[in-house]
This record gives sequence, C-alpha cells and structure tokens, in this order.
Amino acid sequence: MRKTAWLLALLAPLAMVGHAAGLSVRIVDGHGAPVADAVVTVVSRVAAPAASAQPPRTRVVDQKNLTFVPYIEVFRPGDSVVFRNSDNTRHHVYSFSPAKAFEFVLAPGQSSAPLVLDRSGVVAVGCNIHDRMIAYLYISDAPWIAHSGAEGRVSFDGLPAGAYEVRVWQPRLRPNKPDLAQIATVLADADPQTLTFTLSLLPDPRTQFDREHTSY
Amino acid sequence: MSFRTRLALFFVAALVAVQALTAVLVYEVTRHELIGEGQRQLGVAAAAFVRQLDDISDRVADGVRVLSLDFALRSAIAQHDQATMQSALANHGRRVGATQMLLLDVDGRVVVDTLGAYRAGAAFPYADLVERAWSQPAAAVVAWRGRAYWMVVVPVFAPNLVGEIAAAIPIDDALLARLQAQSTLPRNIELVAQSANHAWSVLAHGSDQVALSADLAARRALLPTQPTLLELGDREFVAQAVPLSRAHASAPVAAVLGYSVDEALRPYRPVALAWAGLLALGLVVGLIGAWLIARSVSRPVEQLAASARRIEAGDYSAPRDVHRKDELGQLATAFAGMAEAIREREARILHQSGRDQATDLPNRLAADAHIQGELGRRPRQPAALLMVGLARVPEIIKTMGHMVCDRVMRDVGERIRGPAGGGFVARATETQFAIFLARADRQEAIAAGFRLLDALAEPYREADLTLDLAPAVGIALAPLHATGANGLLRRAEIALLAALGTEEPIAVYDPATDPHRPERLSLMGDLRAALDNDQLQLHYQPKLNLAGGAVDGAEGLVRWQHPGLGAVAPDAFIALAEETGNIRRLTRWALAAGIAQAKRWHEAGRTIRVSLNVSARDLDDAELPRRVAELLALHALPPECIALEITEGAIMGKPDAAIAVLRRLAGQGIDLAIDDFGVGQSSLAYLRRLPVRELKVDKSFVTHLHESREDQTIVRSIVDLAHDLGYRVTAEGVDHETTLAFLHEIGCDHAQGWLIAKALPADAFDAFLKRDREAVPG
Repeated sequence: MRKTAWLLALLAPLAMVGHAAGLSVRIVDGHGAPVADAVVTVVSRVAAPAASAQPPRTRVVDQKNLTFVPYIEVFRPGDSVVFRNSDNTRHHVYSFSPAKAFEFVLAPGQSSAPLVLDRSGVVAVGCNIHDRMIAYLYISDAPWIAHSGAEGRVSFDGLPAGAYEVRVWQPRLRPNKPDLAQIATVLADADPQTLTFTLSLLPDPRTQFDREHTSY
Repeated sequence: MSFRTRLALFFVAALVAVQALTAVLVYEVTRHELIGEGQRQLGVAAAAFVRQLDDISDRVADGVRVLSLDFALRSAIAQHDQATMQSALANHGRRVGATQMLLLDVDGRVVVDTLGAYRAGAAFPYADLVERAWSQPAAAVVAWRGRAYWMVVVPVFAPNLVGEIAAAIPIDDALLARLQAQSTLPRNIELVAQSANHAWSVLAHGSDQVALSADLAARRALLPTQPTLLELGDREFVAQAVPLSRAHASAPVAAVLGYSVDEALRPYRPVALAWAGLLALGLVVGLIGAWLIARSVSRPVEQLAASARRIEAGDYSAPRDVHRKDELGQLATAFAGMAEAIREREARILHQSGRDQATDLPNRLAADAHIQGELGRRPRQPAALLMVGLARVPEIIKTMGHMVCDRVMRDVGERIRGPAGGGFVARATETQFAIFLARADRQEAIAAGFRLLDALAEPYREADLTLDLAPAVGIALAPLHATGANGLLRRAEIALLAALGTEEPIAVYDPATDPHRPERLSLMGDLRAALDNDQLQLHYQPKLNLAGGAVDGAEGLVRWQHPGLGAVAPDAFIALAEETGNIRRLTRWALAAGIAQAKRWHEAGRTIRVSLNVSARDLDDAELPRRVAELLALHALPPECIALEITEGAIMGKPDAAIAVLRRLAGQGIDLAIDDFGVGQSSLAYLRRLPVRELKVDKSFVTHLHESREDQTIVRSIVDLAHDLGYRVTAEGVDHETTLAFLHEIGCDHAQGWLIAKALPADAFDAFLKRDREAVPG
C-alpha cells in the first residue's frame, strides 16, 4: 500500500503531460518463480530525465531481530538515511560501498545521525557483529523506480507514450552482471506492456550464513 | 620293497599329500579372502581418504572464511590497501597451512598473490572455482608445478560480495603420511596427475613408495575406479583410483590407493612356518609311527615265516613270542595249532608206518630197524632170528578172504608172543612172523622154534571154522649167517622156505643150499667171461657097451675151473645159466666142442658116439637143428657120431615146439636120448610120440641096484619095456661090479658110471681107451 502511495505521488506530474501508458514488469528466476526485492528503473530513451523537484527526505532503516528493515530501500540522491537500533544488542553498522562508506556502532535503542546519500549507486550495509544482517540502499535518479514484492511484479501507470529503458537489479545477481536492461515502448494505457525479466540469482547470503557449521 | 617300507612310504606320502593340498587350499582361500577383504577395505579407504581430504579443505575454507570476515581485511580490501591485504593474507595463510593466498576480485582477477606467481590483474586460472565461490566456498584439487594443492576459494562479503580469497594447501608426502598415520588408510597412496599426453605422473605418495599408478596407467588410459588386482614385480596389490574434485583448468588429479596382498599375507607367514614345522614334525612322527606299526606287523609275520621254515625242517615247537590279541595273534595261534596237528599226525603216521594193521605188531620195516639197532649195539654177539611161516595162509586168503586171514594172523601173533619169551616179535610178510632173540645161540633158537611150533599146533578155530595152520620155522644166526638185519631176515626166510618144502618143520639156514646167495650174480658174469675166453672144458664120461664089452660112447660134460673159486659144480652153474638165459650160449659152446672132439675121434678111426646135453631152453630155439647141421657140415662128420640128451621135463614144458625141434633133429639122422628117465612124470606111452632112440635110466634107480630088489625089478622092467618098444637103454651111476653084472644080465645096452670111469678130459679119455683096450681086449 505504501509502495503504491508514493509511486502515485511520483507519477503525478507525468500524468498531466498528455497520454499516459502502463508498463508491467514481471521478474522471475531461472525456475520461473517470482523474485522479490528486485528494483526496476524506467528511463525514457528520448527525453532527459526531468530533474527531481522533490525535496530531500530522510528514511529510517530499522534493525529488529538482527535484521535490517527494510531489506531494500530506494533513495533519491540527496536523501538521508537514519539507522535505528530496535534490538537489545549493539550493531556495528558499516558500508564499504563507493557510493557511501560509513561505519558506526549503535547501542540498543540508539539511532544514527542522518546520513546524506548524495550519489547514485548501491550501498550495501552490513553489521560487523552479525554477519547475516545486510541491507541495500538503492540510490537512483531514474524517473520511475519501484521494487518488487513477493509476487515478483512491478507496474508503472501513466507513462507517456514512448520508448523506455527498463533496468532490473537484484542483490543476488551475479557480481559480473550487476543489472539487466530491456528496451520497452509503451503507447497507451489501453495497451499495457508487460516485460518479463528472468534473473539468474545466487543463493541468498542471509540464509547462507546461518549454516555456520554445516558443509556446503 | 619290504612291507615295512611300503607302509611307511604310503603313510608319509598320504600325509604329505593331504598337508600339501590343505596348505594350497588354505593359502588360496586365505589369499582370495584377503583380496576380497582388500577390495572391501579399499572401497572404504577410498571414501575415507576423499572425506579426509574434504575435511582438510573444509577446515581451510572455514579458516579462510573467518579471515574473510575480518573487518580490517575487509576494510583494506575496500580501500584497496595492497600492502595490508598482502600481509594479512600471508599471515592468515600460515595459520591455515596454505603456501599461497590470493585475493581475487569479483571478476576473478588476481588482486593480491602472496606468492607472487600471478601479477595483479591477471585472470585467476580456476574460473569455475571463482564462479562457484560466489555463493559458497569452493575447493578443488589442482596440479600445479608438479605438486598437488587443495585450492580453496572463499567469497569475501563486505557485506556484499566484494571478492574472493583463494588458499592453496599443498597435498604432499608429509600430509599423506599424516593422514595414513591418523587413520587406517592403506600404506600405498599416490596422487597422480594426467599430463597433456595422457601420461600419469606422481605428485605425491604415501609411506610405501611403490609406483602403483605407473603400472596402472600402463595398462589402461583410464585408472580403475573399482578395486583391481594387479601384480607389480613379484608383489600383488589390489588398487583403486579415486578421481578427486578438480578445477577445469587443472590437469585431472586422482588418488591411487593400493592394498598389498603380500602385506596382508605377512601375518600368516609365521602361521605357514609353524604349519611347515608341524608338517615336518608330523612327517617324522608319522615315519617313526609307520615304521613301528609296520614293524609290529612284519616282525610277527617274519617270526611266523621262521616258524613255517622250522616246521618244514621238522621242528614243530610253537612259534615264539606271539602273544597278541589282534589278527596276527590269531594267525600265530592257528599256526601253533597247525604245527601241533602236523606233529601229532606225523607221529601217528610214523607209528603206523612201523606197525602192521592186522596184528598191531611191528612190520618188516620196524623189525629191520629194531634188529639193526640191536645188532649194532651188540656186534659180534650171538643172536637168532626165527622166521615163522604158515604154509596154509595163501590158501586161506584164496578161500576165506583177507578178513579171515587178518583174524588168523592176529590170533597167531598173540599165540607166538608167549613162546617168543620176551623176544622182539614182528610181522615180516603177509604169511610170516619174525622173532628176534638177542643173545640166543643155535640150541636156544631151535628150542624156541619148537615152542613156537607147539603154540601153533592147535588149529585156528572160529565159529564153525577150523583151520590147520601148518607152521614152519626158519632160523638164521648172527653173526654166523649175517651181521646185518637185512641179511639175517633174508636168510631166515630162505631157511623157512627150506623148512616149508621138507618134512622137517624147523630149518637152520645152510649157506650151501642157498640158491640165492649173492655170489651167484658175480658167478654169472664170470661164466660169461669164461664162455668168451674159452675157459670151459668139455669132459667125456665113457659109455660101456655091455654086449660088446667095449667103450663106444661118451657123454660130454661141461667142467669149469674158476680162476678164484676152483672147480665149480656143474649143477650150480648150469642151473645158474638156465635161470639167467645163458644156457643157449653154453649149449652152443658144448655142441661146438663135442662135435669137434667127435670129429677128431672119427678121424682117428675110433667109433665113439659123443652124447651132448641139450637144455629145456634150447628146445625153444628153432635154430638149434640148423646150427647142429652146420657144425656137422663144418666138420664133415656123419650125424651118427653124435647124440643129444634131453631131460623129460624139458619136453613136458612146451611139448609142441619141443617136439617140432626134436623131429627136425631126428630128421637129420641124429640120435636123441631121454636123460634121467624114471624120475619124471612122463609115461612110456607119451614117449612113444617122440623121435627118441635111447633112454638113460636115472641114477637114483641104479645107485642101490646092487642091494635093492625093488630097484632091480624096476630097472629090469624098464629095460624090457624099452627094448620091446625099440629103445636102447643106458644105466647111469654104475658104481658096483654087482650092478654092472646085473645090468649085463638083464640085457641093458650101455653102462655109465664111476665104476667104468669118471668124466675125463679128451686126452685122458684117449689114454683110458688105450688102457681099456689093453685090459679088455676084444
């Protein structure tokens, strides 16, 4: 619900341009199963992206039950992130990502100072104390951006008719293939396009590291 | 080969064969089992070995992952701090036993290499490992620069995947040795890598350095993944190759595990040695045992054989030292029983052989032995042998049979035992008993003889049978008549025969009347020699013509002057010649001599008719007339000059043949005379059939003619009758003048006897004729 809410907010200016069209993106893995946590960005191939007129915002990444919540969060450059420790253990939050490197320890109940994410890119956040804790901050200035839920589907409405480049990123994509791109041309709402991305994914490291003492 | 040796050899051969077969069987079974066991063990060991290697890589992976989580390292990686990364990797590499540590970026390019083998930015060769390591630690055994390594690649999360750490852990001899020491891995382990030309080269090996893989690889391009039996030189192995997890860029690496069958058999070697020792011991014990058993069998057998030889030699003592309860004991017992039975039977036979069945008296053989023994014990001492004979016995046998005869003889035997007076009594022949009286002289023997006769005087009675025994006794005396038993028995028998033939029931042996003396045999030989050498003489006894008063005839009588014995009685040697078949030669000689003499007298103008004796045997000779004719022809002598004399008995024997011969002689003009007329059984009627011209009255009628009226009557009758029948008559044995006168008176034709002259040699005969002519002229 929340997702749809701010997506509508995002698309509100476009709807006023003229004809609007719909784009549905379906993400499946090699087995055809829907893939959650896939970030889809849509960029017009003809028009330069319109500068974001939105004011920077601050979002909170909570840490509950030794887990970052949410797992993936989408940011616009200039947005800030605050890490909040809702557990009763300390968390040593860090990132070596080029987009934003940081490191600090949060005591239980403590929240970090807002970190300004001023560059596009993916920031992988981990906890040095708890290896399986990981979260991704996806920072992009793409006009349309959304990430999939458990059903593995992302829909865009009210796109101006035209050609777009649709990109999909997922944390478990293979390292040497950071994301996938497809070209889609949308004409009208009455003609909704559906794109299917088939992702070859690595195992989820969050579950992998549970097996401390098992063989592989 | 003796029984003993054969038994021992068989025993030992059987033992050796069984043991050898068992040994081969056990060895093969054991070996087969060990190979099977080796194959099982090898399968387990191969899995265990792979697991141990995996454990190592796991351990290394764990170690490296711990390193990868090191914040400082991650920080250094993030900050591309080469020096820190290098030192941290090297440091950690030592901890996990790696000889090389590499940091790779997510694209698989080398960022840091502690060994410096790869420069930064170069592609890590094991891309598949890199890819696998994106999600989880990956490991493979790689061959690199002639050695084997565990290449363990671990992802580095910071917290997303930022790179990989590769650690190269050498799998070298030391590691294999340690693994072998830690577990029950086979001693033969090799790590091999296949080079570009498919040849397998050894990267590392375990404690036992046998190049299994070389041999395996030589056999086939692919190493056997199942346990395989192979021989290396003189050793046997069960070998199996295990391909190890590999990286694509690396040459294939495999572990070859070998299980030495010889090694496995080694614990059994002392067992085999003990076995061989036991076998040798068993052989020795078996040999000794077999020898002893064989000896226990063969020794009694040899003893029994010796016993059999003793029995053969006449020794019937029981076999010695055979007191056993087994079959040989039974045999020995049977043997002893047999020897005893033989001994008893032989004794009985011996006893019976010396006994007469009917009378149970000693038989002739026993008597001979007993008498010989007695004589030998007392040589030159007087002893007498009485032979009791029963003249009626042959008759009894013929009429009553042997059964009665046996009873008679038994009765006689009992009867003579008393009168024998303790003398040795035996049944000498079927009809005779012998009684040997040691120390008895002639008188005692004769007295005993009479006692015996008295005892046998009573006839034998049985039921309604009464048999007169007609006993007689012959006596021979030792040492007078013989010094040996045989001679004594024979002479007593001769005396008995003499007694049986006369009125006197007792006769003592008389050598003079014994026609069976052994000298006679040699005498016969001498007679033949005398005939051959012309040692006999023909003497001539004159025949006086009573009517004319002159000698006109002569009887040729053979005389034999034996070189050793002197003059031999004509009766003796003529009878001998007749018995021994030499009479024809004697007759031939006498004929030749007589005819020759007759010729001489004929030529001298004397009319002397020579009478020559012809034996009964000569009348069987159909050649006789021809031979006489030839002699007469030879001397050109008229047949009237000779006459032939034949006894009555000679003609009576074979009348037809004899009469034919006589007729031929008579046909040749030869006068024939019957000699010894009157004592025979021929009648004058019978004589009528013979071509005879003369009768010679036997001297038994003539000898007592001068005093016996009966004889005078007989002779007169003979002369009268003969003259009536046309025979001339000659009286022989004329010794008295009275006789001569009587003969002259009754008209007898010729007289012959000592009164006229005894037989004279031819020249003496001539002299006698001359004297006679002078004395009785005309």
